[in-house]
Order: sequence, then structure tokens, then C-alpha cells
Amino acid sequence: MEDYFDYTKKLFDPSKTREKPEVFKGLRVLDFTHVIYGPTAAKILGQYGAEVIKFELPWVGDLWRFGVYWGSFWRHSSVCFHFVQYGKYFFALNLKLPKAKEIIYKLVEQSDVVVENFAAGTAETWGVGYSQLGKINPGLIYLSCATYGQYGPMRFFPGWDLLAQAASGVISLTGYPDTDKYYKLPDYVGDFLPGNVGALAVIMALNYRKKTGKGQYIDLAQAEALMRIMPNFTYESITGEDLGRVGNTDPAMAPSGIFKSSDGKFVAIAAVTDEQYKAICQAMGRPELITKYANAFDRLKAENARELHDATEAWVKSSNAENLVASAKKYGFSIGLVEDDYEITYDQWRQDRGSVIVFQDDMYGKLMIPGPSAMLSKTPGRIKWLARPLGYHNRYVLKQLLGYSEEEIKQLEKERVVGYWDDRPGIKPPVYYDLSHDDVFNFKG
Amino acid sequence: MSKSEKEQILVRYGGSRKEREEFLRAMINPEGKPEVLSDVTVLDVSYANLSGDICSSIFAEFGAEVIKIEPPEGDPSRKITPFGVNRNGVGVPFIMEARNKRYITLDLKNEEGRKDLKSLAAKAQIVIETYAPGAMDSWGIGYRQLTEINPGLVYIAISPYGQYGEKAKEFLSVPDSDIAAQALSGVCANIGDMPGSGEPYNWPLRAGVWLSWYISGIEAALGGAVARYYSQATGEGQMVDVATADSYASLVGYPVTIGFTWNKARPRIGIHDFAIYPYGFWKSKDGIVAIAAGRDHDFRALLKVLKLWKYEDDYRFTFDRIPDILDQVEQFYKIIEDQTVKYTSDELVKMALEYSIKSARSKWRGGGVPIIMKVQKPSTTMQNPHWAKRQSFQEFDDETLGKFKMPVNFIKMSESPPRIKWVKCKLGQDNDYVRGKYLK
Repeated sequence: MEDYFDYTKKLFDPSKTREKPEVFKGLRVLDFTHVIYGPTAAKILGQYGAEVIKFELPWVGDLWRFGVYWGSFWRHSSVCFHFVQYGKYFFALNLKLPKAKEIIYKLVEQSDVVVENFAAGTAETWGVGYSQLGKINPGLIYLSCATYGQYGPMRFFPGWDLLAQAASGVISLTGYPDTDKYYKLPDYVGDFLPGNVGALAVIMALNYRKKTGKGQYIDLAQAEALMRIMPNFTYESITGEDLGRVGNTDPAMAPSGIFKSSDGKFVAIAAVTDEQYKAICQAMGRPELITKYANAFDRLKAENARELHDATEAWVKSSNAENLVASAKKYGFSIGLVEDDYEITYDQWRQDRGSVIVFQDDMYGKLMIPGPSAMLSKTPGRIKWLARPLGYHNRYVLKQLLGYSEEEIKQLEKERVVGYWDDRPGIKPPVYYDLSHDDVFNFKG
Repeated sequence: MSKSEKEQILVRYGGSRKEREEFLRAMINPEGKPEVLSDVTVLDVSYANLSGDICSSIFAEFGAEVIKIEPPEGDPSRKITPFGVNRNGVGVPFIMEARNKRYITLDLKNEEGRKDLKSLAAKAQIVIETYAPGAMDSWGIGYRQLTEINPGLVYIAISPYGQYGEKAKEFLSVPDSDIAAQALSGVCANIGDMPGSGEPYNWPLRAGVWLSWYISGIEAALGGAVARYYSQATGEGQMVDVATADSYASLVGYPVTIGFTWNKARPRIGIHDFAIYPYGFWKSKDGIVAIAAGRDHDFRALLKVLKLWKYEDDYRFTFDRIPDILDQVEQFYKIIEDQTVKYTSDELVKMALEYSIKSARSKWRGGGVPIIMKVQKPSTTMQNPHWAKRQSFQEFDDETLGKFKMPVNFIKMSESPPRIKWVKCKLGQDNDYVRGKYLK
């Protein structure tokens, strides 16, 4: 039989991704979202083939177009915005105006999913809520993303990643117990993770619609999605106390922690099972510990875990990272070197896997960007283009989907129903880019 | 828009506010509603890796019949638990993920067990496994073999470096753990105090939840749901591959895009944020509050609320709030802290809210919405009446596991919501049921 890795290499070959079918081809998503949480849900659907139309206010744009790290734009755009918005159609429509609403209602008739993440009830007020759009198209799946959800006494409270982390209590878990500092989970994961949960919910609803023909409404609370990753509530209800901050160890595995090697590298080591515990004891030349703490529950007790942690710390300090990895391979325990942004970007295995993609964009040129977290062998997710300037796809949407003529569009532009960017970076195209030759922006139909 | 136009839209398409309220209230309780995956059987053979259990839990919550297959001595995951806390030999995370599942024992080391697994897989729609890449294949029960008996099968595999490529091959003997995955995927490198804060506080720090395992489990379920949708439409199954050493980096996107555009790694900047300021935690008289006032008008409003208006024209903080000059950031942190410690958390929340309500009602838009919220611990989150109203937590009582609570119904859906029907996980408890139903 063929070698397993030769077989899987062919099965997943990232260079063949574009030739493979797309699961959600033919589905249309209307995306009334901003910043990260809502847009992520819509992006995932687009990644697997849905046509995502992102609505923004003309001359204003998504707030996150200006969300850049340490104030630096990349080619007059935000890289994070590219990451949360790739592959979408950018339609700048002033939905306060009645004419805009007509356009939206026409689009809803030929769409499958709507996603919004405004404060609870706002979409309803604007006439694009589920109670309105669901009546136009009963097969519609409508995902509302709010921090506290659509129902309950705190539903109107505003939210960001930080506040969802604070509301769920996940915030109180990272840091050293002997200090007064709490660290939030980094990189706005409190937005990204609930966004992915939103996509999961929509896919389940699509599945249900396939069987029954029925659409439905989904109320996703960001904080509830974060609670789903916390066994801490169960822990609290069993022990009567909060687990709290535990520093640089995993209290569910002993020994475990992030240690510093003799050559100054940070190494995460953990014994997940009894077998791995034996392996670590042997690797560090402390076989007597194997029988001392043969029982997993016993060695996880705080004072015993501390003893094992200290023993491991001393061992790691005396060895370099290369030897530690070799020893993990030989004996079989879990190990991982701490990798920073640069190392992750240029790790060859991630590029070979398709987890880091060197993407060549028609407008922005080369950008290295992550692929999907889950690789599918037959219908992989993919990136088609990066984010585009505000209103870039106006003509495409109006002509291709709604059959507007050039004159009608000119009229809409005159009435400021649709619009474009001003001179701010984030919403305008890069200066070197010549729009007059762009067939998508000047879509002829 | 005129009043009649508004009415026309409401009459034509919408309903009243009261109707919406009723509709939302009816959504909260999932009981009696159909389940999406009621026609799906999932085999979960994950071993010593909770990300597999998390993935299968999600399918179970959406109504799939999940059969967790353990070796006769039990999955070591049962013993992975904070400080060894357990109920009758079952650890907390395993209880948390024992949602609506069937538990059976099969010895995959011998031919008999493998044969049973094959017969089960012939009738299943999804398989989840976390063994070393190729291990199942070498036992004759991998994707390659199972897809021959069942072409529609979705096969989900979770491992440190994925199922293909040189790295996966090289690290075959190294098992997975959440902390190693966090280290490898960029979580730890971006948590921790500033360079000058001294060891070990300036070291990379582990996130205090199983971030990598939970993300991997949820992403595996997401990929599996996409694959299931495709298999339902075409009858073709496929393999879904999640690498825990990567899943976080691919989820948030920052490590790679920053690594490329900055051509270097970010430093650790403690409790501060890279894009927004103020955006973090401050001490109050009796606890800790989170403050977010990123936009200019929010920031100005915050100055008013905290009686710091004299800094309004101080260019260091108002003009230049890009948090790249860390000394300045620290300095301003202190200025805010000097004010926040004068008030209790509740007072601060109230002050900000009152201001926000006033500015939202003002006809002069742009008054700013400074947000101040109390930082919760899991124990206080559970007491919040908001979550009680949303039925976000549920208490369970099992003969072997005793009484405990857990977060439930994390997605509210009007037609086919997820739910928990039971939480039980005795080793081999459903051997007879599963054998009777599938292996006759």
C-alpha cells in the first residue's frame, strides 16, 4: 500500500485548491456587519464559496478599516481588515434612504443568509431586521451577533472583544496569581472565536434548510460563545471556588509549563497521560518520580504539581532546546517551542500545509496571510481577493444582480444613495493603483 | 422617511416590537424543537486529546448520535483535570464535554475491536480521531480504508502538525497538548508583561483557558459541518484535517500578517493593546473594571466622565493615542487609575452609562460612548440575572457525577437549536445499546 504521507500529500495538495469544488457556491450572503466579530462569520461562508456582499455607509466605511496596529497602514489599508474581509463584494449603500431599502429588499429576495452585528434591535429600527426581511424571504437564515444577545436585561449594553471577555469571566483567568495583573486573550480572539461559532450556526441552519426548506433566526451572544470554552463554571460548581489565574502552567497536566532552556529559548512541555509522565521522568533522569506519583489525580494536586514543575524547570535549564526536542521525540511527551509572529510567518511547514499563504492580489500585490484552520480534502476553503476600497463593487452588485443601467446608477450616485471613499487611508485604494483600467470597478455588465 | 412610508414597510414586511419580544422569548427554550443532525451518527475515537471530545460535543448538541469509543481502561482524557479535581474518577473538562453522548469500549489493539469499528463506520456519517497521523491507517481503520466501505464518510483528524507534510512526519512520536499548541501557534508569545518587568513576568505566558484545544475542536466541527453539507448534497465524504499547532494563528490572522508587514515580531506589551487606547483594565475601589473608549469622541467622553478634562488638549494623549510610545501609554494608564480607584466598580459603570444615554439622546450626535464594565469571574458571571433569563447555565444531577453546573445553549436558534439532553459518561455505559442498534 502507498505510504500514508505520500497519500495525504496528494489528497490535500494546496496547489490544487483552486481546481476543487466549493461547497456553498450559489449561496448569497448579505453582510451588515462591522469590525471583527460579525464580519468573521460572513467571511467563513465566503471562504467556502458563498457570495458575500458587504454593506458599508458611503464616505464612512467600516470602523475597522482604520483598525491598525501601532498606527501603521499597509498600502493605505489595514492588514487586519484584509484578513477579516477577504473575498467579499464591497457595496457602499446609505441604508437610511428609502431607495436604498428598495435595493436591499430586492437583494433579500435572491439571498440565503443575512448577518448583522449591531446593538440589539438596531437592524430592526433600520428596517433590515429579521421581522422585516424574514417575511420577504421565508427561507432566509438570519444571524444576529451581539455581545449580550438579543434578549435579556443587558441586551442594549455595548460590546467589544474586551467587554465580551470581561462579561464571560474569561478575562480573570490569565496571569500570575501573586500579582495584580490580568491579561486579556490576545489578538481579539474574543471576536474571532464567536465569529467562527456564528458561521458554524449558519452552516447548521443551512443543513436544516436543505432538509426542510425552512429558514430561521439565530441569536448569538459573544459572551455565551466564550463561556462555551470555559470548563471553569463546572469547576466552580464542584469545588465552590474559582480556578483563577494559574501562571505559566496548565493545572490539568503535571508537570506542565513554559520553561527557559539553557540557550534562552522558551519551551512548553506537558505530560498529558501517565505514559507521557513516565517518559518525562525518564528523559530528565528522575525515574524515582514515576512510582512516587503513579496516580494522575495525585500528581495534579497543587503541591505535588509544584514539585514536578520545579524538577522539570531545573532539567530544562540545563539543556538546550534542540536536545529537549530530540528527547521529546525519543521518549514521547508533548513539547512545543514558543514561536513569535516572525517565526510563524516563515515556518516552512505552515506554507507547505497551506496554513500560511503567499497571496498575490491584483490590487495590493503580495501579502502573507493565513489559510483556514481546518483543511478539507475535497472542498477546501480559499482566498480569492483581499479587501477592496469602499464601494469598489457598487457597479457589479447593481448591474449583475439587480440589472440597473449605467444611467440609473449615475442617478443613485447623484442622490448619494451609493457612494465611495474620500481621501482617508483605509477606505481609499492604494495611490499607485490605476482604477480607470479596472474591469471590476468599472463593471460594464 | 415619512411616517406613512415607515408604516408601509412595517405593514408590508415587519411586525410590532411586542411580537419581536415574544418571538425572542420563545427562542430561548430549545425543548420540543427539531434537531439539525438527528440523522447523523458520529464515532468519536479521540484519545488523550480533549479537542476531539469538544468537536464531537458540538455535533451532539446539534442532535447527532455521538458514540465515544474508548479503550477498555478508558480514555486518559478522563484524568486531565485542574488540580486533580474529579467526581468518581472523571475530571472536570471530561464532564463538561460529556454532552448527549454514548460511551462504549472497544479494544482497537486487537482485530475484533477493529472489525467492530469498521461495522460502525459503515453506518456512521462522521468519524473523529486524534491519534498520531497514520496510526489509524496502519491499523486498517484510517480514512483510506473506511472511505472504501462508506464513501460518504466525513473523517475528522486532529493532530499537532496535521496529516500531511514533512513536519507531521518528523514529529510523529510527539503527542499533542494544549500548552504546546498555544506556544507553537502564537498565543503565548503575545501574552506577558513588558520587557522591563523582570523575569518571569516578561516571559511568554499561557492563556488561562484551553484556547488551542477549544479552537481546534470548534474549527474541526466547523470544517466537519461544511464537509457534511457537501456529503449530503453529493454523497461524497472527505477528510478534514486540523493542526493544533496552527489553529489559533489561522483563526486570528495577526501573527502572520504582522510578521509579514512588520518583518519582525511584536514585543509583549503587558496589559495594553496594539490598536486601541484606552482598551484594558483598571483598578477600582473594590475590584477591576474594563474600559474601552477607542474612538476620539468616546475618549473625550471618558475624560469628562472621569473628571480628567484638563488633559483634553494635551497632545500626548489626545492627538497621539496610538499605543506605540509605551512610556506615554504607561503614564496615561496611571492618570486614569488615579481616578478609577476613587470609585467603586458599580459607580464607574453607572457614571459611564449615564453619560452614554445622555449622549445617545442628544441631537448633537458624536457625544461619545465610553464603555466601563465590571470584570467578572466565572462565579460572578453565573449569578448575572441576564444569563439566567437567557438560560445560559443549567444544573445537572447524575448518580455517579453528582450535582454540577455548566454553560449550555450557546447558540440560540428559532427552529433547530442546540441543547443538552443528558450528561453521563460512565465507562462502557452504552455498550449494550450500541451493540444492539449497530452491530447485530
